[in-house]
Amino acid sequence: MSTPTAESKPTAESKPTATLHALVMAGVTHVIGIPDNASGPLFQEILRHPTIRLVTVAREGEAFAIAAGLWLGGAAPLVVIQNTGLLESGDALRGTAVRMAAPVPMVVTGRGYATLEAAGLRPGQPATLELLTRADVDSTALLTEPTLEAWGVPFERCGADDDPVAAVTRTIASAREQGRPVAVVMTRPLA
Amino acid sequence: MLTTAQLLQPLARRRTNEVVVTTMSVVRPWGRLSDHDLDFASADSAMGHAADLALGIALARPDRKVVCLNGDGSMLMSLGTLATAVGLGAANYVLFVADNGEYEITGHQAVPGAGRIDHADLAQAAGFRHVFRFEEARPYAEAVGDILSLPGPTFVHAVVEPGREGPISRGPAEQARYLRHSLADWSHQLRAALAADRPG
Repeated sequence: MSTPTAESKPTAESKPTATLHALVMAGVTHVIGIPDNASGPLFQEILRHPTIRLVTVAREGEAFAIAAGLWLGGAAPLVVIQNTGLLESGDALRGTAVRMAAPVPMVVTGRGYATLEAAGLRPGQPATLELLTRADVDSTALLTEPTLEAWGVPFERCGADDDPVAAVTRTIASAREQGRPVAVVMTRPLA
Repeated sequence: MLTTAQLLQPLARRRTNEVVVTTMSVVRPWGRLSDHDLDFASADSAMGHAADLALGIALARPDRKVVCLNGDGSMLMSLGTLATAVGLGAANYVLFVADNGEYEITGHQAVPGAGRIDHADLAQAAGFRHVFRFEEARPYAEAVGDILSLPGPTFVHAVVEPGREGPISRGPAEQARYLRHSLADWSHQLRAALAADRPG
């Protein structure tokens, strides 16, 4: 369900070693999701990691059900999906992690945010039919944050000037403190 | 065809410390047979996601079997879970599909491809280590012990008669203990029960 975008192409300096270290320090046991260009290097690192297990799923909704089950069994999951996959996952997220009050943190890589910026738009701007159908605007970015709000999932956005490692660490801690899913929408490469 | 009781009773008799996840038309019938702390009703929950939720428990707790009693309609909603379970090599995972050909609790509407989809073939093609298909009660009852003891992932396709279960609710009016709690409360209780039963 993840689709490539020019803004999220991996670069040599985007190898997410610091993020992986933060996951280890936070006690994450499983990373569940589907990789895209932004999260692919992290998935590759976790694949080789001795303690964190990578769970690649067939569809993003599965990630939330598996994460909720992992939490039931005493594990500490982290979901990593693209925002397109988030939009696919509504009932799975609502009916498992949210309804169960399960602390499931998620990193949502943000496809399409550069198109909003280039068009002079802001995330969460009212999704008019004109905006939803404009060729130069990726509607995924337009809808991601209003969707998280509608689903009752607290979130922060981590942009180009923000520290992605700190944002991921905060998101994991916040999910555990609140006993609910919490998201970070990552519109920049992981570090 | 088996009745739902013929599917569930042999399993309830053989069950020891397995986690059992139920959904849709078997939620109440299982609750009439079992009152175990390690039962979990994927009811008031996410459509089609019982099998993957059970898979998550199995991954977290490789020391014990996790049994999911799924329906055919629910399975069709998340067929990708067959691939995920096999890809993860979940040896302690036993996935049942009670195939009655319909969405029973929402009013007996036919599922897509009812009577033409062979779930055992789907599981075989996905690569499940053991796949069983039962249309009669006796061979199934004789095999349940092996099904629970074999290294998985294991898949059981049981062709069952439609029952008469209606929509599921949660609250004090429900007979089954696992339906008298909110999904959140029961989830936290199950998590605590599993933590208390963790091998040293």
